[in-house]
Amino acid sequence: MLEASGLCKSFGGKPALDHFSFSVRRGEIYGLLGHNGAGKSTTLGIILGMVMPDGGDVTIGGVSVRAERSKALRKVGAIFETPAFYEYLSGWENLRILMSYSGGFDPAAARAAVERVGLANRIHSKVRTFSHGMRQRLALAQALLPEPEVMLLDEPTDGLDPEGIKWFREFILALRDERGTTVLFNSHLLAEVELMCDRVAILRDGRRVYEGAVGGLHDDAPLFDVDLEPWDAALGPLHAGGGEVVVPGRIRLPHGADPAELVAALVRAGIRVRAFAPVRRSLEDLYMEIHNGASPAAKALG
Amino acid sequence: MLFLQQLRGELRKLFARPRTWMGYGAFFIMEALILFVYKLEGSQRHMRDLMARNGLEFGTYYSSLTITFTIMLVSMFLLGSIYFALVAGDIVAKENEDGNLRMVFARPVSRLRLLLVKYAAVSLYTFSFVFFVGVSGYLMAVVAVGREGGLFVMEPRMKVFAAYPEWREGAWRLILSAAGIGVSMITLSSLAFMFSCCKIKPAAASIITLTILFVDMILQSFPFFKPYESFFVTWRMSSWVFFMEPNLSWPKLVESYAFLIGLDVSLFTLGWAAFQTRDFKT
Repeated sequence: MLEASGLCKSFGGKPALDHFSFSVRRGEIYGLLGHNGAGKSTTLGIILGMVMPDGGDVTIGGVSVRAERSKALRKVGAIFETPAFYEYLSGWENLRILMSYSGGFDPAAARAAVERVGLANRIHSKVRTFSHGMRQRLALAQALLPEPEVMLLDEPTDGLDPEGIKWFREFILALRDERGTTVLFNSHLLAEVELMCDRVAILRDGRRVYEGAVGGLHDDAPLFDVDLEPWDAALGPLHAGGGEVVVPGRIRLPHGADPAELVAALVRAGIRVRAFAPVRRSLEDLYMEIHNGASPAAKALG
Repeated sequence: MLFLQQLRGELRKLFARPRTWMGYGAFFIMEALILFVYKLEGSQRHMRDLMARNGLEFGTYYSSLTITFTIMLVSMFLLGSIYFALVAGDIVAKENEDGNLRMVFARPVSRLRLLLVKYAAVSLYTFSFVFFVGVSGYLMAVVAVGREGGLFVMEPRMKVFAAYPEWREGAWRLILSAAGIGVSMITLSSLAFMFSCCKIKPAAASIITLTILFVDMILQSFPFFKPYESFFVTWRMSSWVFFMEPNLSWPKLVESYAFLIGLDVSLFTLGWAAFQTRDFKT
């Protein structure tokens, strides 16, 4: 549905993106992660035609953004950087103006979008009176108004309270489930990305250092936190069972190894097994490993 | 149709901002001041002498039409230019500074289309503002001195002197002139618009525009630049006064307005070229 190939961009000679390629399938929620300045917003800017790439191109539904921007963006809704509305106009007038740039104002569609984001009772107030959460809802409403097949969301939950974040997440997931909307999502909130995205790419200094399914975070050899006594005597059976000590108290087992067999071997060797618990590896763990250069996946991707 | 919808939105934005209305307020006050001065005995005596020297009857030409002409002559370049430069300098640069352009560019609209809509809005604002000044000035003058009377025109710099004793002819010339001023002032707005399209602060766009305008005016006033006066933009912009000449010289008018319209198109194209290659990202 959305395909970026070989995106390159420098600002003042400093590379912001270095041959970044990725593709998002129809109905997929794809997350872009990375430190500040990693190139996430630049990627979204290029997709929207706001940033001119030095090289590479993006196609949406097979239409090139560089060659036919207007056609490519016809079914795209976006929140790019901090939403900035016309403060001196009402939310409704803002929607009217923005919609006029994408096929014309349709009051019924606007009303439906406003109701969907829960802003119906305040939509005729001036935007300057809106809270941050209301502005984000208005931003979401305007993004919904071309009946998008693709949504590009740049840090959409920034500054929202926990209830707002949860509401936003559920909204996007429902949108994908109901309409099959494809979503490209970029955020600093790793837990949010983990809860929402099907796949993620991690960028570092404009280069992709990881790409994979969020469900596949545990595909690397499984980790276990262990409490064994005496520790020195336990090392022999651990190694014999294929275990690798990551740090004292944490071991990694090879794929396919049965932890129950290892526990039995340890008990047979007279080791007291006080704890043997699998470690659930979060996206944050992966992210930090990649940033510390410890992830095998990151090493493989360079 | 869609263009009109977009233009409506641009005008709605333009007229929702207090800055846009500042110009209207300023002109109201200035018109009242001019009328007050006109009513003073000293200025009436001066006008009476001036008309007598030209063999004209004071009672016929001390009129609402003559006052309206004076208001437009003295105010549009000096005061009007400030507001046109402010509004046109803001129209792109301010939206970029505030981040609004990012919202608009998330829509499937081309940069050229967006600029065309904004340029049309600025041009309409400029043109209608000139008529506002003319109409409001005239109405205030009618209240002060009555509706009757002809039109007396004296513009020594452009060498235009005319007297229209009939109200109808005078009013018609005034309307033509207002249209001429409107088109002339669009050139000023085009200049500010061009700068507004560049990566520049809105205030800088307005200040640079006014600087260019005033430098052009100063240079044009140098006596030894007289042979080259027609090359100065402000001289061309003053060509509206030629609509007041008893025998309209269409070639002279067409030449001046072709020059200005050509300049407008060039300025728009330069602005578009700068705008087209820019990145919109904080």
